Amino acid sequence: MTATDALSMILLICGGLFFLAGTLGLLRFPDVYTRLHALTKADNVGLGLIVAGLAMEAHNWLAVLKLLLIWGLVILASATIAHLIARGALLRGIKIWKR
Amino acid sequence: MSQPLATGKPRDRLSVQRLGAGWRAAAFALLWWVVSDGSMSSWWIGAPVVLLATLVSLKLVTPFSFSPVGFLRFIPHFIWYSLRGGMDVAWRVFHPLCPIAPTLIDFPLRLPSGMARVFLANTVSLLPGTLSAELESRVLRVHVLDGNKAVTPELMELERVVARVFGIALPADDASDRLS
Repeated sequence: MTATDALSMILLICGGLFFLAGTLGLLRFPDVYTRLHALTKADNVGLGLIVAGLAMEAHNWLAVLKLLLIWGLVILASATIAHLIARGALLRGIKIWKR
Repeated sequence: MSQPLATGKPRDRLSVQRLGAGWRAAAFALLWWVVSDGSMSSWWIGAPVVLLATLVSLKLVTPFSFSPVGFLRFIPHFIWYSLRGGMDVAWRVFHPLCPIAPTLIDFPLRLPSGMARVFLANTVSLLPGTLSAELESRVLRVHVLDGNKAVTPELMELERVVARVFGIALPADDASDRLS
């Protein structure tokens, strides 16, 4: 196993851990707003790390560009949808959770 | 970051572009080229799609200025925010007590309405502990995961960085009353 393979593997595993954090947040956090926090932020970093790990194993630059494009489109969609869900929840008068 | 507030003199005014039809078509063509792995024969479909996408985007989004230099400067900020945001929320999730104290704040916007605001609202959701909940005419309503942390200075810094992406000079307003 080369150093590139090892680094790529570490990045992929770390990415998986962030996805785990996002999903656990969806289960553990108390209301719609806090759950959105967990999903948008943890999944953005998780996907970013997975894209970085895969890009290290890519054979040409076009594949790297394509991976980055996928990451860009996913975070654009997730940030937009998170905003729309939070806005919809506020407009419906869903109160934010307080301790 | 201890940069002074923008005082109406953007440093890279020369490189600011109006994003009209030509630039958009070029951007969509680049996207198609990447997606189709550079295959020449795919342009039979790609060219009409690029044309259509350009027309739709001109119909939906009015031209806005864009600074490539500002955008390149934004990328390291964005990666740093994302990493910190992800680590922060992951730490709270894995912590046995889930240390959160959510609150809502209104962040007064200095950016003009349009693409720059939408871009800011989207980026805010990736910052540590903030989620943009509603974009109003004067303020951005932000849901904060931990109300004990002052997020306004960080939001103001992000606003400055975003202003540079769009070649906008922010009005230098009194920062002291917003930090309270």
